[in-house]
Amino acid sequence: MRRLRALRSVEVDDRGLELVAFCGHCGQAPPGPQPSRVCGHCGLGLVLRASSDVAPRNGEPFLVIDSTLSVCAVSAEAEELLGIDETTAVNRHIADFLVPADANAPSSDNLLALLVVAASGGGAPRTAVVRPRTEFGVRFRVRIGSCGPPHAALLVLAA
Amino acid sequence: MFSMRTLKTSEAATLLNVSPNTLRAWERRFGYPQPQRSAGRHRLYTHGEVAALRDALGQGLSISSAVSRAREALSTDTHTLVGALARFELDRADSAMESALALRSLERSVEEVLLPSLDELDDRYGIDSAPWALAARWADGWLRRAQRLVPPPVRPHAILVGDATRNELDPEALGVRALELFCGRSGARVVALPVSGVSGLADVVESLSPDAVVIAGSHLPDDDVALWAYRVRAAAGPLPTALFRRARHDAKLRTTGTRVLSDAPFAAHRQLLALIDGRDATRLHDVPALCALGEEVDRHEAHV
Repeated sequence: MRRLRALRSVEVDDRGLELVAFCGHCGQAPPGPQPSRVCGHCGLGLVLRASSDVAPRNGEPFLVIDSTLSVCAVSAEAEELLGIDETTAVNRHIADFLVPADANAPSSDNLLALLVVAASGGGAPRTAVVRPRTEFGVRFRVRIGSCGPPHAALLVLAA
Repeated sequence: MFSMRTLKTSEAATLLNVSPNTLRAWERRFGYPQPQRSAGRHRLYTHGEVAALRDALGQGLSISSAVSRAREALSTDTHTLVGALARFELDRADSAMESALALRSLERSVEEVLLPSLDELDDRYGIDSAPWALAARWADGWLRRAQRLVPPPVRPHAILVGDATRNELDPEALGVRALELFCGRSGARVVALPVSGVSGLADVVESLSPDAVVIAGSHLPDDDVALWAYRVRAAAGPLPTALFRRARHDAKLRTTGTRVLSDAPFAAHRQLLALIDGRDATRLHDVPALCALGEEVDRHEAHV
């Protein structure tokens, strides 16, 4: 019987896109099946899953936000980019760090609304423009989608 | 009463499904779980802390948020104790301390649960209130019960504590009881005497042969303390002397070799043992201390 080596099982989301796993700190994919959710590469993050069109790629900085809009995780790259430390950022409101910077957005609450929807696990990925709360000359385009478990919003600052 | 399950690094790592290196990295980055050290300086993790983290990791989005959740779970003992004492439910207060002891060492249970709870009651009601009196008496009784269960001294050290607090309702008194308890659990012989009583003091001092003297509490004035210290020195000769929670009087003091211990009883007991052992004394607060006391002692000597 011919062996089909190229086939592998993949998990997909409700849009049929592959769910990819990544570490909430270093962003790397886990090295293989793991006994725990703790990243086998850095040991400083938990393994999360997100649709392939949202998940961070090539070391993109990202944050994870829960449905109360509190920061739950900050990747190592985001720590460096935003000059914040995950251990002090956790449990603080996302607006303490990033605010909307898109003048064409329908309302200033747009970013927060997108995050709430994503944190509830629904909706297709969206994009927005943000800036650090204390910086006016710096803007980032971000992808916002769902990740988990448990359900949370993933905010990836596009490179 | 004071049993607490501890885990070696490898056991804690297995429970969390991570490597020992990861566990040590978490200690550096997150300060949690915070191990104690065995006699051989090996890490010993409390089972409760590790179990709380394991549960939190299952529902967390990051190690930081899991650590935060685990810490919150552990802090419920303080809330429970404050609630029980505020409602005058002493049995429930005993139970809260039993729960705390299941998760922490006795020293940490006292420093992280008992003393902060009493501080909160002090803030809430004030020390002239009936709720404070009830809570302070309960805490004093609890600490004295714990002292009675301390095994016989194994160190050759004896410590004489000059208690300058008002009584068991003095907020400083609980810290002093905690210091006595921790020193006793470290194997030292500890005798606490009120600074106000000098009659027959020489007999006690000669019998105890203390290696160090601690003057604890800030209620009694320097004159009383100086008289007491003079009598001790007359009976035992010059000894290493330290001040504990006598902050109000620090500003007046000049150096005569007396040290100021940390206000935290656990840190203070380590500093005190180091002072007796003659090692690492520089880690003590290098506040030039004792002068009003030193001068008073000198004055008493001059009179004599």
